[in-house]
Amino acid sequence: MPRAPEIEPDWELVRKRNFVERLKHEKGGLAVLDELPAMIAAGYEAVPEEDMVRLQWYGLYHDKPKLGHFMMRVKVPGGRLTPHGLRTIGEIAQRFGRGHGELTTRQNVQLHWLEMARLPEVLATLAAAGLTTTGACGDNVRNITGCPVAGLDRDELFDCRELLREAADFFLRHREYSDLPRKHKITIAACTGQCNAPEMHCIALLGTLRSGQPGFAVKVGGGLSTWPRLADDLGVFVPAPEAIEVLRAILDVWREDRRYRLSRARARLKFMVDDLGPRRFRERVEARLGRPLLDGAAPAAPDSEADHAGVHAQQQEGLAYAGFPVYLGLVNGEQMLRIADLAAEVSTREGGRQAGREEVEIRLTRRQNLILANLPQGQVPEIARRMAAIGFPLAAGSLRRLAIACTGNPFCNFTVAETKGRLRQIVDHLEAAFGEQAAVLGELRLNLDGCPHACAHHWIGDIGLQGTTLRERGAAGERLQGYDLFLRGGLARGAAIGRPVLRRVPGDVVHLAIERLCRAWIDGRQAGEPIQQFFIRHSDEQLIDIAGVPAEVLTR
Amino acid sequence: MIHEPMLQAAAAVPGARRDLLDEFEAGQLANDFDAASPEEVLEWAMARWQQRLAICTSFQAEGMALFDMAWRIDPAVRLFTVDTGRLPQETYEIVEQVRERYGAAIEVHVPEARKLERMTTHFGPNLFRRSVEARLLCCSVRKVEPIRGALDALDAWVTGLRRDQWASRANIRKIEIDHDHGGLAKINPLADWTAEEVWDYNRAHDVPVHPLYARGYTSIGCMPCTRPTGDGEDPRAGRWWWEKNAPKECGIHCPLETGGLEHELEAMLHGGGVER
Repeated sequence: MPRAPEIEPDWELVRKRNFVERLKHEKGGLAVLDELPAMIAAGYEAVPEEDMVRLQWYGLYHDKPKLGHFMMRVKVPGGRLTPHGLRTIGEIAQRFGRGHGELTTRQNVQLHWLEMARLPEVLATLAAAGLTTTGACGDNVRNITGCPVAGLDRDELFDCRELLREAADFFLRHREYSDLPRKHKITIAACTGQCNAPEMHCIALLGTLRSGQPGFAVKVGGGLSTWPRLADDLGVFVPAPEAIEVLRAILDVWREDRRYRLSRARARLKFMVDDLGPRRFRERVEARLGRPLLDGAAPAAPDSEADHAGVHAQQQEGLAYAGFPVYLGLVNGEQMLRIADLAAEVSTREGGRQAGREEVEIRLTRRQNLILANLPQGQVPEIARRMAAIGFPLAAGSLRRLAIACTGNPFCNFTVAETKGRLRQIVDHLEAAFGEQAAVLGELRLNLDGCPHACAHHWIGDIGLQGTTLRERGAAGERLQGYDLFLRGGLARGAAIGRPVLRRVPGDVVHLAIERLCRAWIDGRQAGEPIQQFFIRHSDEQLIDIAGVPAEVLTR
Repeated sequence: MIHEPMLQAAAAVPGARRDLLDEFEAGQLANDFDAASPEEVLEWAMARWQQRLAICTSFQAEGMALFDMAWRIDPAVRLFTVDTGRLPQETYEIVEQVRERYGAAIEVHVPEARKLERMTTHFGPNLFRRSVEARLLCCSVRKVEPIRGALDALDAWVTGLRRDQWASRANIRKIEIDHDHGGLAKINPLADWTAEEVWDYNRAHDVPVHPLYARGYTSIGCMPCTRPTGDGEDPRAGRWWWEKNAPKECGIHCPLETGGLEHELEAMLHGGGVER
């Protein structure tokens, strides 16, 4: 059923129905920066709530409670940070953010506790280090993600770093892309392991070669949140030099159609792609471009998504990269400084850059881990020992490496349940329960979210969890936390949206339910059977039975 | 005229297996119904949940419009409200008016007597003037907890939330899961209506109007905590105007229906969850 209105509404109707469109029309999000000194002079208490919304355009969101502390999201295009960049973020965390820091699932770094009065200094400090928060939140092209080992990995088809940087600069510079219907997520990579989740982005450019020439297949219309959808292949081949022109045409088709601005519940590209279908969407893009696109097809998905953990030889002779698990995605300010120091020190050894040596880089991954790149191979063991001393042992185990949780309590205003704290409890329990045998869990992906927004992608984890509350309450009348468990989802060859098979599992037993599901899989799996397949092979009733949570608990 | 059995019947919850949407289903439905009229949304929701659904109202324009629409679909639709004990007399007047006009038994939920006794004994009846925390405690005992109690017995509730009211409401969907209240369905049929459309509906259908609107009130709650706002004055000045250092959006923009009030309340009264 066609759901967009037949007749395109005029701006007046859009602004009448949509508060945020009205707010942007009165004063664009980006305009708030010029007023920051006046806002600071007036004091937090006096600042209109509307301007607090506009601060999202600079990556700022209220922490909870909304009493004047902010979360700040620093964009890291492609996840690439220099030691100086990481040190800058670490210093800000230490000086203004109570030392807190976290890596996100879109290669950003988030800090908390920032006060409005400090923002001019913080933003200027970031800018001086070549970093920005502009467009990190709000109705913008968000951080453009990519493969964190672009330009390093021996298996990559070609190096997308330059294009990714150009695209990030282009959409930052052109202000019309700061008034999109809502947030917009782009990923660009030529990673054969498809580590960047092209299936769930608004636009994904997937590197492919044609007669040896680099170019891209294009997927559009993916996304999660409350209406999860896997992206469609547009069926095209875009030569690399035309990539930005095509990205721009797609964004123009999208932002110029006012029908999707009436309701923010449908203001994501996935709704348009779903309404039109990929063929008609492609026609619109071609009409906007004024020329047809070449036919092509997206590369086949790999067996499973790569995450580039561990130590690997680089394309560059004698160098290696090392992917370190960051448990729960938490890296505090002091750790940032120590990693930056280590990276800078290694960079200067043996004559450093003057001797033509590559600077050590820090790369952030989609699974909230970090990679040190351009390490002299012989020095890797020593560097790994030092990283372990900072709190990031290479051999932390697959569970810790692959488990992700959203920001959640105590900072996020949306969450209804513990996220990182709960994930720690679950992982610690599984490690204790399986002991030496924890390796049998293999590449188990736990994705835990505190609300339906799905920052930690619960729809596509091996076991996804979404926080909710129980119907019963605690002794003092307090709310009790529970989790819906999403099974059968995944990416890569098994790309699928999971379903909430177990509902309202009480927070105090959710780790036990997960243990039982894992045990049943290990005991009952067919040769090499992934956990996703095991869940597909069993009915909801069987899985509920396996999890051992009484039915009356799940439905109360 | 009033007998004990009658009171018991009013309090009884129609027993039935709980019919709860899951997140995937809710997302699909919200998209399907996004352009649907309030009546279409109500008709669907009322058919699905019947007596396990109720409209929550404080007798403002939105709640009254919704009740009128729902009553026309099925006069047996349930309507509930919370009598905080501090409501203006005008609210009680409109309760009577609605009872008479629609022949409806409005379900009234009240604060737990023991908690109210303890709170007012310890902190006095006007504790809300003392601090933001004290006001949140008062909101919690008098309003939040009684509403939670009402929701416990439902599978779906209907609210008058509208997207054009504030940025944080701009994303609301007409059919959602209320994860703040045990995961029941939350239906927001007026999501895409403007205030003007609500008032047009109420005029066209001769729906009872809360008398305080005529006296300049833009939002109506407890008597001591609400006041009229002048022309051009920020409507937010009509709630808790004396407070300094109240959380942003805690005035009229983060009501209980969005979960916002409870998040602030938990963060400020209970320290915001587990430290990590």
